[in-house]
Amino acid sequence: MIKLIKNYWFRRIVGSLVVLLVVLILNFFLFRIMPGDPVSTIIDPHFSPQAKQHLRAQFGLDLPLYQQFYLYVKSLVTFNFGQSFLSQKPVWEELRTRIPNTVFLLGTAFMLSALLGIWLGVKAAQKRGSALEKVVLLAGSISFSFPSFFVQLVLLMIFGWAIPIFPIRGSLSVPPPSGMAALWDFLWHMTLPIFSLVLLGFGSWAIYVRNLMIKTFSEDYILLARAKGLPENKILWGHAFRASLPPIVTMFLLALPGILSGAVITETVFSLHGVGKFLLDSILGHDYPAAGAAFYLLAIITIICNLTADFAYGLVDPRIRLGRKME
Amino acid sequence: MREPFRKICLFAIAIFACLFCFPNIQSFGANNVVNLENIKGPKIKDLYMVIYRDPDSQILALETGKLDVLGDIIRPVDIKRLSSRDDILMTLSEGFHIFFLGFNLREYPWNDLALRKALSHAVPRKKFVRDLFAGYCLPIYTYLPPVSPYYEPDVTHYEYDPEKAKKILAKAGWKWSQGGLLIPPGSDKPLEKVSLLCPTAQAAPTTAELASRIAESFSSLGLPVELEMLDFSMMIKRLDKHDFDLFVMAWSLSRDPDNLFAFFHSSMDTEGGYNIQGLHDSEIDKVLEDLRWAPDKDSAVKAAKEAQEMLSDKAPWIPIYSRYMISAIRKDWKGLTFSKKTTADNIWSLLNMEPVNGKMRPLYWCLPEDPRTLNPLAAGSAYDWAVLGLIYESLIGTDPYTLDDIPQLALKWNIETETHGTKKLTKLVFHLREDVTWQDGALFTSEDVKETILFLKKHQLPRYFDQVNNVVSVETPNEHEVVVTLENTSYWYLHNIGGLPIFPAHILKNVENWKSWRPERQENPKDPKLTQLVGTGPFIFMEYKPGEYVHLKRYDGYWKNR
Repeated sequence: MIKLIKNYWFRRIVGSLVVLLVVLILNFFLFRIMPGDPVSTIIDPHFSPQAKQHLRAQFGLDLPLYQQFYLYVKSLVTFNFGQSFLSQKPVWEELRTRIPNTVFLLGTAFMLSALLGIWLGVKAAQKRGSALEKVVLLAGSISFSFPSFFVQLVLLMIFGWAIPIFPIRGSLSVPPPSGMAALWDFLWHMTLPIFSLVLLGFGSWAIYVRNLMIKTFSEDYILLARAKGLPENKILWGHAFRASLPPIVTMFLLALPGILSGAVITETVFSLHGVGKFLLDSILGHDYPAAGAAFYLLAIITIICNLTADFAYGLVDPRIRLGRKME
Repeated sequence: MREPFRKICLFAIAIFACLFCFPNIQSFGANNVVNLENIKGPKIKDLYMVIYRDPDSQILALETGKLDVLGDIIRPVDIKRLSSRDDILMTLSEGFHIFFLGFNLREYPWNDLALRKALSHAVPRKKFVRDLFAGYCLPIYTYLPPVSPYYEPDVTHYEYDPEKAKKILAKAGWKWSQGGLLIPPGSDKPLEKVSLLCPTAQAAPTTAELASRIAESFSSLGLPVELEMLDFSMMIKRLDKHDFDLFVMAWSLSRDPDNLFAFFHSSMDTEGGYNIQGLHDSEIDKVLEDLRWAPDKDSAVKAAKEAQEMLSDKAPWIPIYSRYMISAIRKDWKGLTFSKKTTADNIWSLLNMEPVNGKMRPLYWCLPEDPRTLNPLAAGSAYDWAVLGLIYESLIGTDPYTLDDIPQLALKWNIETETHGTKKLTKLVFHLREDVTWQDGALFTSEDVKETILFLKKHQLPRYFDQVNNVVSVETPNEHEVVVTLENTSYWYLHNIGGLPIFPAHILKNVENWKSWRPERQENPKDPKLTQLVGTGPFIFMEYKPGEYVHLKRYDGYWKNR
């Protein structure tokens, strides 16, 4: 038993469960501390105070707080998230229809911008002072300095209106095609939103990786590797890049939960059915079941990503593997 | 010399404003009068209500022909851009909307009538509308918007006149300190800073800017005003608790003026009630009661006129502007119905629209948001009813030119009042059309009307609670006649009951839990090709792809098509 308690992974998992519990409690109380409730924000002269009272009862907001808390915990633990106040549909169904679009959009954009940014960052660091480095630095700075709505609207104007080669909205045509054509139709619709996010996202990766790599290139072991006459590619990817990997992996895994939280602006500009807009509407509309469930899922994914990051450190850097002693 | 120069300058400014700032009305469609009796339809076979969330992408889609109809255009830049195009018809109507500034009448100095009147003269409404909305709004001085059939123009107007404002204050004993701040009568200390509640600039940029300009206008009169920008929920909480000095807000209204009762009757001055400013005036209460319980239209018109006159005299608000409704339709469609009171994106246009070139194709209509639910028993948002309103119908419709009542599912109706001892009752008798069928083929009868009203009453559905709360009984003397009896007498009962969407009794009887009912997903018991989302309306629900579109199809058996 003591051995189990002393086990690093056991302690990390228990710690994560405690974090989850705290998130769960905060989720409940923070939403209820916010001014107003889902009924008080209905401002309609044809909705009398008596009718509002009926609506409160329908949402279960007339129950004592401890009873509401019990129902809330029960719904989250059983993953039966209840009904959304705003749509009257099961929250899980609301999320289920949105998650595929959001994960595909942000997952693809994230992977592409990370890969492109890392590759450009490595190349820029390798060729310091070259035109390539200057271009990467300039493009990188511009990329993450521009507001997303502006870039996306400009892209829409160019490729949706002036040279209309991409659709203006959504993830499928109206009416939609069937069979394999539907898949192509989906990819065609997602191209512009993904391209815009890659354009906005690669810069921060490129500059971050370039700076990391420059620092690594100044290390003695790189000098030694060069002195030994190792091929440049081996030094670049096998030594310098590998040594720079842990912070990159951390950044990568910590950014991963964002794939599920959605991108409100992108979803709005391209009229995509995603989690981001749903989450924002839930918070603004005091839709406690919907917002609670979405934050609960995000907390779980963040915790899993943190654990994965811990595990991945050992894989990418042998120096920090558990149980390995300094020789 | 100075006076002629001032006049010339003012004339030049007025010409400039007319040419460049006010809407170019010629670019908008004027009245398009179509005899409603002659409208058969719908002619369109497929209607796609496509979800475009971003206003810029809506405009691009309309220009590229991916959208045919775009309603509720707000931004002046979009209006100007679209109205300059030859392939797009813009239509404009006055809106049931009012934006105003409210005082907290429970506290000094806001309970001082002279101060309220003076401040009403200090607001340059026309300038605000010109500067902030490029003229695409209507400056107003009354408590109902001009589009309302009950609008009374002949009331006290508080035109912009700072000198008059100062005179009113001076006459009431107000003085000014050396620094120009107002000193209340009987006091030697100037007023302390007061706050004006408004939404944040991020949430409502134009409203925040307007509030800031109002604050400037009041400050120039000597009233030191500080803007307090709050998140909307926080602002509502402060208003509910009556913790404010001044606030700005807008109401979306309906064609019936009985909401004046909710806004100004003293019984509505409760926490969370709509008499936010806390007006208590027994004479106004009496007139508002007459309005609310008016037995017929004449009494309602008389009470609404009196209420507006009295409210203007008491100035509990400063009405500022009313929005225009503006819509755009591609000119490759014909058969539109529109007027000064209704834009072209309406049900009458939908019934009559067909392509100009004669070759039928689907119509693409913009929905700015997903419908939250397609359960008509729980639906509340405008986007829900943009779809459901094409499937379900009510007993009484609205004339797009006059906004008067016109027959829909009921061919005619009459209102009777009865007295039983001390109790007064209203009897609404509806004579129904005999040629109406539900979209699944079942015959529409008085039983459907009865079951709808009784279902809504029995389950106390919040959205319909106020409409059916006073229903005492519903009787069906025959298949095409319904008698609804309600407690007390009120002319508005006709619209409360006549405006209810009517649901099929054969579907309603199978609804076990109205909250979780998903009619769009359940098979229709009479026609397996349809869902349970069937009404008597001109369009049949076919498919809803969340985030993408709602597909509706023409109902060939629609009663207007026969």
